[in-house]
Amino acid sequence: MSPPMVETRQLTRLYPGGVEALRGVDITIGTGEFVAIVGRSGSGKSTLLNILGGIDAPTGGFVSIRGKMLDYTNRKALIAHRRTTVGFVFQQFNLIPSLTARENVEYPLLFSYRPASERRKKAEVLLATVGLAGRASHYPGQLSGGEQQRVAIARALVSDAPLILADEPTGNLDSATSGEIFSLLRSLNKEKGVTLIVVTHERELADYADRTIGMKDGRVVA
Amino acid sequence: MTIRLLEFIELAFRQLFRRKVRVILTVAGIAIGVAALVGTVSLGEGIRTQAVEAIRTQSDLTLIEALPAVEGNTLQLVTATKASAAGSLPGIKASAPLVRSTFATRGQTYVQVVGLPAGSLDDVLISRFQKGRGFTAGSNEVVLGASLGQKLQRYEGARIGDPLVLIRRTYDAAGRPVDNETRVVPVGIMEERGDDFDQILLMDLSFALSLGGDEGGYSGVLLRTTGPDQVFPVAGGIRALGLSPRGSFEQIEAVNRMMDMVVIFLGIFAGLSLLVGGLMIASTMITSVYERTREIGIAMAVGASEGDVMEMILTECAVLGCIGGICGDLLGILFAFILNTLGGPFLASRFGDAFAGLLDSEIALVTWPLLAGGLALAIGLSLVAGLYPAWKASRLNPVEAIRSGR
Ligand SMILES: Nc1ncnc2c1ncn2[C@@H]1O[C@H](COP(=O)(O)OP(=O)(O)OP(=O)(O)O)[C@@H](O)[C@H]1O
Ligand SMILES: [Mg+2]
Repeated sequence: MSPPMVETRQLTRLYPGGVEALRGVDITIGTGEFVAIVGRSGSGKSTLLNILGGIDAPTGGFVSIRGKMLDYTNRKALIAHRRTTVGFVFQQFNLIPSLTARENVEYPLLFSYRPASERRKKAEVLLATVGLAGRASHYPGQLSGGEQQRVAIARALVSDAPLILADEPTGNLDSATSGEIFSLLRSLNKEKGVTLIVVTHERELADYADRTIGMKDGRVVA
Repeated sequence: MTIRLLEFIELAFRQLFRRKVRVILTVAGIAIGVAALVGTVSLGEGIRTQAVEAIRTQSDLTLIEALPAVEGNTLQLVTATKASAAGSLPGIKASAPLVRSTFATRGQTYVQVVGLPAGSLDDVLISRFQKGRGFTAGSNEVVLGASLGQKLQRYEGARIGDPLVLIRRTYDAAGRPVDNETRVVPVGIMEERGDDFDQILLMDLSFALSLGGDEGGYSGVLLRTTGPDQVFPVAGGIRALGLSPRGSFEQIEAVNRMMDMVVIFLGIFAGLSLLVGGLMIASTMITSVYERTREIGIAMAVGASEGDVMEMILTECAVLGCIGGICGDLLGILFAFILNTLGGPFLASRFGDAFAGLLDSEIALVTWPLLAGGLALAIGLSLVAGLYPAWKASRLNPVEAIRSGR
């Protein structure tokens, strides 16, 4: 049996002020799963996602990705993890305002020295995948909130990362648009086999996922 | 790698031109500094070139006299060996040993006398005559410098072909003065040369030696270099022989020394305004990094390393510096152009004939190395100014940066 995509054991995150954002989180997420993380504000959802994405570090416990422990003391390993293993989608203002939609999608590849022609082609294909083929040369300011999040999703996919982390990707969208974004995520998960971990406040949106993980006060609840 | 740098440069342009007014002001700051530098240095270099050119055209640059160096308090004569060593330095076309002494005329005019081999009038001194001709070897014929000739003609009625009496005072064993008289025949008066030789009476070397005085050597060696470019190397060679070179090239050295000081001094002041430009860049970039905190956090989350972030910010600084440098160079060229078209006639009308040469020549001299230097300085300074903002950006915590509302 191949190892799970993500596995955490006794993960803790203690902030300097004494706030325990995570108090021993154990989760296991299989390859190709679409998991929704739900919970009240302040329950530690973003903290967990940031640690999984390698932009924050736990103060205790460990994370393993496809059976390999992630070494948070190794900067190079963390940067490689961000470049190749995960794709991030944030709540809003995800995009670089001075770049067009296509350039925003290409942006992560700039840091992994991929040739411009390859980047461009990939970005165009992905923009078509998220339904924005005609908007490639528009700037974020010229796109609606939903369109911006589609661009952000395309960007998260551009490095062929097997794991997509989305922190309330529809937090600022109306419910109809939110539904569209989630069905896009669902279909990407089905077609491309990417593993998705999506934080959301709304129970109805969580229904798009295979499974829901509830969080409360830094712990996983049933 | 370089392709990525090009892309970073393009990104930098995009980032910068989101804040047009701010960028224009910053660029203007750098540009004014560079223009001040280019303007002042080109003015200094222009004046230097003018002065050197004036010396070159008005004096006999390729003529150098090698004099004995002063050792302690005694002046050693130049030995025949030294004289021929000086004469065979590379870059020498012709050379001649000379002796110097002082005589008086019956009319109490003091006359500096130089004895030279007859042939060297043509090939070393390259003398032209307004009247008469050169002296012949072994004779008591003499040639007068232009000013001396005028003086002797006016006050002593000297004439070409008429014998002239030269008096040399020596002292006998008892300490009494004894006047020795020598008859010489002026056969030519030289054209004005603009140097010491205008005051001199020239005679044949062997005749001069027969009159006594210096013994066992020469007062100096007269050297003619093959061209103006050989003058400074030859002067160095003469110094290496333990002799001291003299000639109109010394005026060029003096002008260069003075203009070096002037240019450095002016350059420091212009540099200060460039420093202000650098501070503006630092301030602009600190603001820019602050405003883009979230953007930088996102870049890090999608894979930008600390080095990538530094590179992006520093590229923006370099682009600012480059635009500022180019604008500054253009402003400097404009400044020099205005100075050359309006300044020359102004100075000429103010100071009259002495500055008439300025009418059709350049007061401010803009050179490629100067423009390149201005540009390089602008870019270098911008990079230094950007170090702190770039370092700050690279040290941002991505989580906090993304959470921040900026
Ligand atoms: N930098 C910090 N310093 C101190 N405490 C922090 C810091 N960041 C987060 N916290 C605390 O950690 C806890 C978890 O925060 P987190 O952002 O993970 O919650 P969340 O579940 O994402 O909430 P929301 O749904 O509002 O986004 C909160 O109590 C928060 O106040
Ligand atoms: Mg959150």
